Amino acid sequence: MKRSTFGRRVTVALVTAGLSLTACSSAGDTAGGTAAPFAVWDPYPQFDASSEWVKVIEKCGTEAGVAVERQAYDTSDLTNKVLLAAQQGTAPNVLVVDNPVVSTLAEGGVLKANQDTGLDASQASPNLVAAGEVDGKAYGVPIGANTLALYYNKAVLAQAGVDPASLTDWASLDAALAKVVGAGKKGITFSAIGTEEGSFQFLPWFWGAGAQLTDLSSTQAVAAVELWKSWLDKRYAPNSVVGNTQTTSWQEFATGEYAFAENGTWQLGNAAKLGFEHGVIPIPSRDGGVAPGPTGGEFVTVPVQGAADREATAAKIAGCLTDADTVAATDSALTYVSAIPSVQEQQVAERPELKVWVDAVQAAKGRTGDGRGTRYPRISQPLWTAVQAVLTGSKPAAEALKDAQTAAASAK
Amino acid sequence: MFRKNLVGWAFLVPLVAYLLLCYGYPLLTTVDLSIRDYTVRTFVHGGAQVIGLANYGDVFADPVFRTALLNTVVFTVASLVFQYGIGLALALFFSRRFRLSATLRALFLVPWLLPLIVSASTWAWMFNSEAGVVNAALAWFGLDGVNWLTSPDWSLVSVIVANTWIGIPFNLVVLYSGLRNIPAEVHEAAALDGASSWQAFRHVTFPMLRPVSAVTLLLGLVYTLKVFDIIWIMTRGGPGGSSTTLATWSYELGFGSMLPRFGPSSAVGNVLILMAVVAGLVYVRSQRHREAS
Amino acid sequence: MTRSWWHTAVGLLLTAVMLFPVYWMVNVSLTPPGDMRKSPPDLFPGNPTFEGYARVLDEQLPYFGTSLLVALGTVVLTLALAAPAAYSLAKLRPRGRGPLTFVLLVAQMIPGIIMALGLYGIYVKLGITNTVWGLVFADSTIAVPFAVLILTSFMASVPDEVVQAARIDGAGAFRTFWSVVLPASCNGVVTAGLFAFLWAWSDFVFAATLDSGGSMQPLTLGIYRYIGNNNQEWNAIMATAVVASVPATALLVLAQRFVAAGITSGAVKD
Repeated sequence: MKRSTFGRRVTVALVTAGLSLTACSSAGDTAGGTAAPFAVWDPYPQFDASSEWVKVIEKCGTEAGVAVERQAYDTSDLTNKVLLAAQQGTAPNVLVVDNPVVSTLAEGGVLKANQDTGLDASQASPNLVAAGEVDGKAYGVPIGANTLALYYNKAVLAQAGVDPASLTDWASLDAALAKVVGAGKKGITFSAIGTEEGSFQFLPWFWGAGAQLTDLSSTQAVAAVELWKSWLDKRYAPNSVVGNTQTTSWQEFATGEYAFAENGTWQLGNAAKLGFEHGVIPIPSRDGGVAPGPTGGEFVTVPVQGAADREATAAKIAGCLTDADTVAATDSALTYVSAIPSVQEQQVAERPELKVWVDAVQAAKGRTGDGRGTRYPRISQPLWTAVQAVLTGSKPAAEALKDAQTAAASAK
Repeated sequence: MFRKNLVGWAFLVPLVAYLLLCYGYPLLTTVDLSIRDYTVRTFVHGGAQVIGLANYGDVFADPVFRTALLNTVVFTVASLVFQYGIGLALALFFSRRFRLSATLRALFLVPWLLPLIVSASTWAWMFNSEAGVVNAALAWFGLDGVNWLTSPDWSLVSVIVANTWIGIPFNLVVLYSGLRNIPAEVHEAAALDGASSWQAFRHVTFPMLRPVSAVTLLLGLVYTLKVFDIIWIMTRGGPGGSSTTLATWSYELGFGSMLPRFGPSSAVGNVLILMAVVAGLVYVRSQRHREAS
Repeated sequence: MTRSWWHTAVGLLLTAVMLFPVYWMVNVSLTPPGDMRKSPPDLFPGNPTFEGYARVLDEQLPYFGTSLLVALGTVVLTLALAAPAAYSLAKLRPRGRGPLTFVLLVAQMIPGIIMALGLYGIYVKLGITNTVWGLVFADSTIAVPFAVLILTSFMASVPDEVVQAARIDGAGAFRTFWSVVLPASCNGVVTAGLFAFLWAWSDFVFAATLDSGGSMQPLTLGIYRYIGNNNQEWNAIMATAVVASVPATALLVLAQRFVAAGITSGAVKD
């Protein structure tokens, strides 16, 4: 069984390589003939060939009348893979990609604008579609959305005498952490790793303090970093947050020792498997109210192929994947909040505990919004570097953020 | 003579073709990447301006460069010294015959066989601040836990420990068989002359082991300079760049953020290759010296 | 003989220290997820779970097969390229071989990640990403320079008189290489082959850049799946690791004698 697949693979590869070598001069412009299958790339390696997601892709291919071939990559690799493939003229036909990357790819001329392919994003919420807008044109359609909130352990809070409903600003959260730690439990865990995840987790506090990504060194920004730092200093948060991914942070929370964990919508599936009762509250802003979180989640986009008919077919597949009828199943498999308001209502009707997440997604902001678009990656990296420098005690908050602002302003 | 050269090169042709294809072309690509000013658009559609050595200038001016260079040197030297030192001590120990010595020596090779991604994950887990076994052991001795991977003072130490552990088996195997190749009469003669075992080691064994040591250290250098997986998996070069080496920095610039910077990334990679060339030249020269003397 | 017991005791202690991380790997592979973050951790898996191993057998076998194919392919390709070249460098010694040896030395030091970026462009152009033999080619770049250098010093130690004798018997250069020099450097061939196998077996960088999309993925990516995804399942990771080290261990135990002989005779004759 194994061997025969391998044999076939090698033969196919040899033939493909041979063909592309002999047909070097004419490659690319001959889209006709027996059409190549439509390549769909996504960042969901957790879904294998038997999953619902892959069945949806195949169904959408069949509806568009073409064969599809799906490949899954790790999120962190996908952007580079797409860029290199686009450089060689072999970009996938349909690309599912993390939302902050969309504007970068669009500006790089890798993606087709919706208006040129007939893809329609009007069903999705405007605050989510915004992440894919460049120069007034929309690129792609959000497949769903996620954001961050605070998971809490009911037993731990009850033991410490904390009412989760009372946690509406930083002061009350801080007091609650003091009580929890005083009761011999651990406070809060989050992810401050030196990657995009670290910035993602920091943004609700950053924005919740009133800071803007245009000025990393503002006093509000300093206040946000100092809040995290104070938690480490007072042992409200473990030192391991500096190296935690959102996954490892979740595992710390899953021990049942922690009162709070900052984590995302995608953990809902795992939350159901926790051995203890949990709840979710929105992340409070500094002076009260809900802090805006960053929107996470992917966009379904159509990369440039140079063949209008194939692009139009790809747009049909993309439209099908994000259609209200099909997307509900995908979003529940990913445990995302739908990007389409009517589907959101349906989700809440089925699972009332999603209400807090739908609210959070509606309040969330895109990282690439405010016209910053492609600048965001150049801002995010200095930001996470500064947060790490402060948490490890290498630099005071004001100095670290001043350096970050300088780096972000000068980066090309 | 001409015919002999021809036949000789005939045997080398596949290798040369392979080197050009699998090394030459990719390296040309990175040189090309490093001298152009790439944006996402020009990367995909071509037409990036040639800017000469400006990427190199940016890289050298970046404060991270100094840290990465220093870390690379410290990481390489410390790993080599400990791998070699411990490997040699173990080789001497195992060169005495005792019960189970062959079995135990074979067991020492196991770390070598684990995929790096596995060893690195295991060490990362053992060094975990909260639930790691290392801190649990320290606590058992009444010592405070150390934030091995999350403190800028310790992260480099942690990756050096892991890398040394991985390198010991190789050093042990090579040095052990080097020791076995020294004829027993040499030791007997030294013993007859009344040399202490330390003196015998210092004046007889160690000098005779020199050629083997040179190769061991060279191969160690070759593989330490390019270590990437261990550091990336354990610390991602962090926190705050405290365990960044040139290899991880190059990767971070190229692949670590959402917006790749292929130009500077390739420039760092080429600096690393240049260091390899220099190390190679130093080795070849020292080799010539030895042959001459 | 009493001293021998003392040595054995020290030897056992040293081995225990050295192998502790390996033990820990096995321990973690048997720990149920709930106990994973217990502080202090359990030194023995009190209530072991074989869930990790069940998952490995269930999910990782295809990866296992791919890794085996890639590793064996790399061994074959590496030896096919390196052995004739080494023969030429050691016995035919054509003009201009010095720079070539130097190139090989430097080539060994180039980090895989730098090669990977360049190779990816070529692979995409040729359409050979996500194929087994594409990965074989990439993995061989780690092993080929090393194999040439090791085999060269090994073949150099085959006495010239033997080669001469073969010549006088009328054997051509290829016959001499195939029937005389190659069999005489069997240890070197085993060593080079073993290293090629181990490197290809444990390669992650090339696999992640060049082969992470298709259905033929090696074991290291299988492990990475468990690390990278929404849940870091340590018992599954470690169970895969334990299983992954079995063939490599078997191979090394079998070939250990050749390897040691191979490396040192190479080193000494250099």
